[in-house]
Amino acid sequence: MERENGIGPREPSDREEPVDPGEPADPGEGGGWVAPGGTAAGPRPEDGPPRWPSAGEPEPASGSPENGAEDDTGAPRSGSPVTESASEAPRDWWGTGGGAPVFGAENARRLSPRSLVVGPINQLRSLLVPIAAGLIVGGFNPWVLTATGVAVVGLLVGGFVTWRTFRYEIGEERLEIRSGLIRRSTRTIPLERIRGVDVTSTLLHRMLGVAVVRIEAAAGSPGGGEEGKLDAVSVAEAERLRRVLLHRKAVLLERHREETEPVAGEEGSALEPAPAPETVPEPEDTGTTYFRMPWSWYLYGALALGYLLTPFAVLATLFGMAQQAVGDRAADFLVDWVTTSDRGFLLVFAVVFACALILLMPVFAVVSYSLTHWGFSLRGRDGSLIAERGLFTRRSVTLERRRVRGYELLDNPLERTRRAVSLRAIVTGLGDTANRAVLLPIGPRPRVEEVVDRALGLFRGRLTPHPRAALYRRLTRAVLPFAAVAVAAIALEPVWPSVVAGVLALLGVPLGVDRYRSLGHGYDGELVSVRSGSLRRTQATVERSAVIGWSWTQSPFQRRSGLVDLELAVGAGESGYTAQDAAQEESVDFAARITPEMVRPFLVREDGEPPR
Amino acid sequence: MNTPPHDAVPPPEGPFEPTTGAARLRPPLRRVSGRSIGVWTVRSILGGLINLVLLSVLAWAAGVLPWSWIPEWARENAWMLPTVYFVYALLRTAIVPSWRYRVHRWEVTEDVVYTRSGWIARHWQLVPVNRLQTVDHTQGWLERIFGVATLEVQTASYAGSSTIEGLDAEEARVLSEELAARAGTLRDDAT
Repeated sequence: MERENGIGPREPSDREEPVDPGEPADPGEGGGWVAPGGTAAGPRPEDGPPRWPSAGEPEPASGSPENGAEDDTGAPRSGSPVTESASEAPRDWWGTGGGAPVFGAENARRLSPRSLVVGPINQLRSLLVPIAAGLIVGGFNPWVLTATGVAVVGLLVGGFVTWRTFRYEIGEERLEIRSGLIRRSTRTIPLERIRGVDVTSTLLHRMLGVAVVRIEAAAGSPGGGEEGKLDAVSVAEAERLRRVLLHRKAVLLERHREETEPVAGEEGSALEPAPAPETVPEPEDTGTTYFRMPWSWYLYGALALGYLLTPFAVLATLFGMAQQAVGDRAADFLVDWVTTSDRGFLLVFAVVFACALILLMPVFAVVSYSLTHWGFSLRGRDGSLIAERGLFTRRSVTLERRRVRGYELLDNPLERTRRAVSLRAIVTGLGDTANRAVLLPIGPRPRVEEVVDRALGLFRGRLTPHPRAALYRRLTRAVLPFAAVAVAAIALEPVWPSVVAGVLALLGVPLGVDRYRSLGHGYDGELVSVRSGSLRRTQATVERSAVIGWSWTQSPFQRRSGLVDLELAVGAGESGYTAQDAAQEESVDFAARITPEMVRPFLVREDGEPPR
Repeated sequence: MNTPPHDAVPPPEGPFEPTTGAARLRPPLRRVSGRSIGVWTVRSILGGLINLVLLSVLAWAAGVLPWSWIPEWARENAWMLPTVYFVYALLRTAIVPSWRYRVHRWEVTEDVVYTRSGWIARHWQLVPVNRLQTVDHTQGWLERIFGVATLEVQTASYAGSSTIEGLDAEEARVLSEELAARAGTLRDDAT
């Protein structure tokens, strides 16, 4: 198919140098600027007319004739929606030609001058270890010192060049980012394709009042994304960018929809996007606030398994650092100390140390959890959800509501003792979901459900438990492997492994029972929900229209017990959510209730031809 | 905003009453091409031969090379490895292709691609045509010899993608074109 009519003849390329997408478009990012390559070497400043007309001679929005084909407004429609191109057109060296650059309806903007400070410092930080190592090993000899100096100066110059050449502009329909001194690159992102605008600022950024803006856009391939990164703009500008980008996008989509579908039937959509207002909202309009972190919620950090392990991580890091700093002497010292010390003293020391560590675990957990979740807030604005959090590094993630297909409630056994859950969104084409899809921190279930209800729409159905046979399967799965190992170990007579395996097999019993108890699936007319897992229990809820396929898998064992794994395919999140060991007939009925048009043509009565 | 066609149509209130156990999924109507048995058989034979050669070399090496860490019993019984594998491969080649042929079925209706595959474990899959993103029609060298092809339909979800192996080549070509055209007309956001 693809061969016949999928890929048409390629347009004759007018580029001399195809851009490798793997290469950083931003020359400052790679630690230096891109060297002039081959024939596309930059022309001298005096060559040709200025690439960007100066403010003194404004050009029509459609672009000046000297600008390459990629500057025309219609260009991004062909080929990949997000285009990046290197141009070989004659241009001015700095791309300024004097006054303020204009390349569209609106003035092109520069990054904040303060990024001149942040960029090199951030890059220097990653170079700090090699430089320090070089200095120490090289014994501060002049060559190393000179090289270091050159590197630092290079970084500063690189940062300056990046800042001088970097421009971005929000047009009516697209965002353009231009950068590069030698190899000019232009990235065009159609506003309709923007999926989210993330604003992140580390402590350093915040001290200088700037933030990094990442614009995530849908690329042509499913799941693939293309990003525009503005590192860094002032905080006010970041906020403006987010507002304007999302608003224009909403307006564009609205217009687009009016053109294509005069009557939009949306009654089936449970996660209804808010209608976009006609005008760009004022900066003080923060939309709806769904959630602000109450003080008591920070304590829930003590229930998060990942954060509970932080003392060990910190200890390991400290030990590693100590070892690196003092070398083998530390280890030798430790060994000496252990061998020479009194046995009783060592025992007491070990016990005290272990107790302190265990006592400190929750404290550390709460502290580190608070650092990352400080001032968590969830707001809704312009058809998007904005989640913001963090004390030192503040990150705010914007999720377009149109792309939110549902939500996940996650909890572990510890959290279940306090009836606490955390909330994640199931979003189409979102990378790094562990960080980006977080909608709420860990909190009491009723409160979380209340927020879900207001922000997304709550699943109100009941989960159908799975048949008893599923319990036996869960138990077999949790116990049998360890029991087998234990038996084998007894037969081959090493004692320790058999004891360990036996204990694990015993622990498998409550685990299996709990896994069975968490199994369930349900449908409330709009939302489909599937739950499974024990140590990390997940209840995934998606809207009905998000279900884009069904698959049943049945092993011979399952066939004997009349069970089946039913997976609902969703073009978002983890792409599939499985109802493990559901009753075979009930699962078919379940699918037929949710998407009758998909399932019913293939149903037969009991007396008909039975499925094999 | 993102309104798939099955959402625009209210769930039909037909004669079908969703009482438990009243209805089952029937198997898809059509079998794959009988020539696919040949493909699977040849593939199994080739794979088996390669593994057999590797195992034989291993067994020979274990018997001949003067490595002291190989225990005596392993040295003596090394020939069992390729023999057992040979028997297994023979059984597999004899049984699995025809078994697969009996299980593998497919059906393409106006709106849905319905497939059944697997041999020991079975797999039923429903993929709605209006959510298709790509339709791939591939033919390896072995498949070309036997005149069959593989059709793969993909949606935005990895879990919602389906593969029909061993279709008649001409049929697969026509089908892939039809599906692609239909997906193009029906498709909205496809997620």
